[in-house]
Parts: sequence; C-alpha cells; structure tokens
Amino acid sequence: MRRRGKKSMAAAFGLVLGLATAGPASAAGHVLKIRDEGRLHFIKSSGSQLIDEGRSTGTIPGNVRVRFTYNGNPVVTAQFTIYGRYGTINGRAHGRLSNPTSTSPSLRGSLSITGGSRRYAHVSGSGELFGVFYRRSYGLTVQAIATLRY
Amino acid sequence: MAFFRACAALLVVLGLWLPGSARGAPAARVSAAFTPERLGAATTVTLGFRLARSGGYFHAPLTGLDFRYPANLGIITSGLGVATCDPAQLEASGAAGCPANSIMGYGTASVRVPFGNEAVPETASIVLVAGPSENGFLRLLACATGLTPVAARIVMPTLLIAGHLQISVPLVPSLPEGPDVDVVSVHVTLGGHLTYYEQVRGRTVAYHPRGVTLPTRCPHGGFRFSAAFSFLGGARAGAQTAVRCPRRR
Repeated sequence: MRRRGKKSMAAAFGLVLGLATAGPASAAGHVLKIRDEGRLHFIKSSGSQLIDEGRSTGTIPGNVRVRFTYNGNPVVTAQFTIYGRYGTINGRAHGRLSNPTSTSPSLRGSLSITGGSRRYAHVSGSGELFGVFYRRSYGLTVQAIATLRY
Repeated sequence: MAFFRACAALLVVLGLWLPGSARGAPAARVSAAFTPERLGAATTVTLGFRLARSGGYFHAPLTGLDFRYPANLGIITSGLGVATCDPAQLEASGAAGCPANSIMGYGTASVRVPFGNEAVPETASIVLVAGPSENGFLRLLACATGLTPVAARIVMPTLLIAGHLQISVPLVPSLPEGPDVDVVSVHVTLGGHLTYYEQVRGRTVAYHPRGVTLPTRCPHGGFRFSAAFSFLGGARAGAQTAVRCPRRR
C-alpha cells in the first residue's frame, strides 16, 4: 500500500512536470492543418543558392529562413526553417517554375516536414506550396498548406 | 586478372569512342574566366573556345556545342534576362529588335570564309539574349552578325540546363552553293555593364542587373569547365579547363 502510494505520487508529479514544461498542446498525436504565408526578402547568395528571410503569418506565425536553389532545372528546391513561438519546424520543398523568363515566375510544388525543436521536436507532415520568385529582388512570396503531426 | 584486362580493354574502346579522341576532329581549346574573381561576389563569366585547323585543311563545320559549367554557378539566379526576345525578331533586326531587359551579354566570333583555296578571316559580333523558355528550361539565343566578306546574321538557340549550355550551330554558306563558313574561335561574356529598366511607381527607372554570383566555396581543383563539339559528318572533339580558386571576399 505504501509502495503503491509512492508510485502514484511519482506519476502525478511526473504528469504535472510534463504539462509544465511542454505547454498546453504537447500531447502526442496532435494533427494541425496549417495555412501560412511568408513574404521573404533576399539576405545573401552563394552561386545558384539564395538565402531569404521574412515573416510568416497564418496558423504558425513566426520568422522563416529559406535556402532556395535554382540552377536551371525547372524544378527548384528549398530547405526552410520556421521559427515559431513554440519551437522550430524544418522542412524541404520542391516546386516547378511556370515561366522562368518572366520577372516574377510563379511556382507550385510540395513540401515535407523533416523535424523541429521543442513542441515540434517529433513533427512530421506534408503539404502543398504556391509562390512567386522575384528575379529582380531575389525575394519570395510563399503560401503553404500542410498537415502537421507532432 | 582477366577481369582487370577486360576492364582495361573496355576503357580503351570507350576512350576511342569519347568525343575528345575522335579522329579527324580539330584540336579544341576552351577558356573560362571570372571578372572579378571573388568568391560570393557578383562577377562576369567569359567563356570561349578555339578550334585549330586539322592538318592544314578546313575542319568540318561545327554543328553543335555542349558547354559544361559548374551547376552551382549563379547563372540562372543572376537577374539577367528578365524579358524575352522573339527569335524571328532577333534574326531580322539583331539586338535592336529585342527588349533591353533580355540582353544577357556580348561577345565575338572569328570565322574563316573559304574562297577557292583561300580563307578570308571575318569577325562577327555576338549578342546573348534570353529567348522564350521551353518546358520550363531557360533558352538563350546567341545572335552572331558578320558584315564582310559575308554579310550574315545567324541565331543559335541555346538551352540552359543545370550545368550545361547546349548550343545548336546552323551552317552558314560562304557563297550560294559554296562551302560553309569555318568557326575558328568564340568568346562571350555573360553579364557586365548592362542597363535594364523597371517600372517604379509609374516611372521607368534604369538599373544594372547584379550578374552571375560565384559560390562562396570553391571546389577542389577550381571551377571546371568543359566543352564537347560536334561537327558535320559526325566528328567530335572535346576540351576542358578550370578557373583556379579565387581569393575569398
């Protein structure tokens, strides 16, 4: 009886500690449908790779950093990190440019979430993305519609 | 041991088949340069090639060229060619018939025009413009204009695929029914002091496109360039070069 009491106390303490450190939405098996938009401006480049940053608004507001590679193939690739309030979300994306010789070709593709930190430490997911690449300013406007599991 | 001998034999056979070793093809040299040479900085890229006469005779006319460059060179992200030029308009009027924002660079070509047993040198000017894209790939148009002794303007469609510039070279007869003009050397520069125009709050404002950006890291052995040449009749040649690693910014 005494042992059982100690065990239940420890379990209760653990539960309280867990809730306190992980936040209100940290329960495993969460599914979140997100719809976010990012307006990103050019930071720097290395050859065919551009690094853009900016604010994202929508379901997970925060800052976004994108490493965007366009080397001549119509399919462009990107790696991104969203710095949200409850942690970071990392992912990869690829999309096809519709009219690469225009001043602002549009792109459409898919994204996959590869990991994150804190609340999103075990995040996964996938979705679609739509965007515009501004060839004059090297900026990007991206809309993402995705489903996250964490 | 037998396996290694078989591999060696296969390599020899492949070596005979490869472009650079095609017999009867002219000796080719390629060149590449960055100005300025600074990693991570905007630069101009100058590419060139020279074809030597084979045994004192004219070589077969050049019909195609696949110029390979490092795929991570920022040619596509250079901001060059933000408008397109119609190939027919380019052929009819030269660069004057194209939007200023489509011009990506300039160059020259040296050719030999066969007249009987003699060859008369001619220099043609080249302008590189952005053409309509094809299946999402960028298409450059290289327009060469020569005046004397042969007045001709040819447009060479160039497909820009990651790390490749694939150029189709049309045949140019020196005289009606005569032999074709012989390409000796070509030098083109992407970027440079180009002036583009954009609309800012309803006004047309001039600006200079940034140009090709070098990667911040240089690959071991430098930036490698190579070219595979195709000639009428099937002869092939190849050449390569490397731009040494520039100093860091």
